[in-house]
Amino acid sequence: MVAFRSTDISGRPTGLLFRCILFSLLAFGLIIADKHYDQLGRIRRVLSVVAYPAQVAVASPFRGWAWLREILSTRDALRAENSRLAEDLRSARFRLQRYDALEAENRRLRGLRDNTADVAARFLIGDIMDLDIDAFRERVIVDKGAQDGVYVGQAVLDAGGVFGQVARVGQLTSEVILISDAAHAIPVQITRNGLRTVALGTGDMNRLKLAYISTSADVLKGDTLVTSGLGGGFPAGYPVGTVSEVKRDPAQSLADVDVRPAAALDRARELMFVWLKPAAKAPTP
Amino acid sequence: MMRDTRVRRMPVMLSALAALGLAILPLPDLLDPLRPDFLVLVVYYWSIEQPQAGGLSLAFFSGLALDVVGGVVLGQHALALTLTAAWATHLRLRLRVFSVLSQSLTVFALLTAYQFVLFWVDGATGNPVTAFGRWLAPITGALIWPLLARTLSRLHER
Repeated sequence: MVAFRSTDISGRPTGLLFRCILFSLLAFGLIIADKHYDQLGRIRRVLSVVAYPAQVAVASPFRGWAWLREILSTRDALRAENSRLAEDLRSARFRLQRYDALEAENRRLRGLRDNTADVAARFLIGDIMDLDIDAFRERVIVDKGAQDGVYVGQAVLDAGGVFGQVARVGQLTSEVILISDAAHAIPVQITRNGLRTVALGTGDMNRLKLAYISTSADVLKGDTLVTSGLGGGFPAGYPVGTVSEVKRDPAQSLADVDVRPAAALDRARELMFVWLKPAAKAPTP
Repeated sequence: MMRDTRVRRMPVMLSALAALGLAILPLPDLLDPLRPDFLVLVVYYWSIEQPQAGGLSLAFFSGLALDVVGGVVLGQHALALTLTAAWATHLRLRLRVFSVLSQSLTVFALLTAYQFVLFWVDGATGNPVTAFGRWLAPITGALIWPLLARTLSRLHER
């Protein structure tokens, strides 16, 4: 105690120990409150608004650079891109025609079995902000928040497939946890045979793992995985990845299955927030 | 509480804001684990050179800012930074007369203690990060300390 009671050069005691204990207790209180009670959402939301200018200040030079490159791109490049996009749109339209009919049929058939899965009802596009938040966790900050209706646990997609889900919501920004985060798991299904399992993040953006696959299970390299819609967080039927490697060790009861994510986890710039429409209740016979 | 009128708070705030910006600046994936904890170093610097200017409240609120931008449990960095900044303030009279090398070594010890508190809170709240890479930041932090201290001393002696 005496050792901690240091004084200024002017001889005035600073009460370092007292303030240290005070602030530590305050921090402890915050940790416990944040962990055990969900009371701090509002405080965090307000604080995130305070942090917003710093985030914008850091992200804006990168955005400005992208903008500059865009306005400096030549007319020919733009024209080529335009025709490519028109081509993409046309082929997507053709596929969509069939898809609408198939979806209607599928819903009707599933409805007969009373297990209509949740479907996506509304989408919102958000941009990833150029910010590093933690070297050891796979998370990104997106420029849409509570004021756009984003909620915790919401599914997030990119052009290739499932990207992640919303972990925290601020007023203007939200934090998305990638499916490759070591703390993330997503219920999936193999399209070839309907086998249901869970894809776990590994902390490596190019690799997921399948949980609890027995060595005798029917999983092949190249199998496509889609969301199963179980658990209700994600809409069913969106691509998650393809099986890239299956290691079967006869001495083990479980196989090691690696999956390559379908979403461009390390390159995506724009994400899509998805609102689910609750499953339509099938008419009871 | 009596306030020393000669204490200038502007450089403290500016350097802390700049350091917060550096903490979230995007880096290539390979360099990211090597990123020194800039804001932590800045807080240590002011705790040593001018504890009247920011003191432990600077440490606490800087930590809170790191919690918010990092999206971790609220209070985690605040706790770690409060404890280690208090330690730095306690050692400040000795640190000021240390050679650059001894200062860097002390800063390394402070940063390791800081990282250890973070590690402990991570584990206690149920999302441990056991990657070895997290122990690299104290090393790069200690290496960059002489440069940072010289820059900041120019800022506050002007």
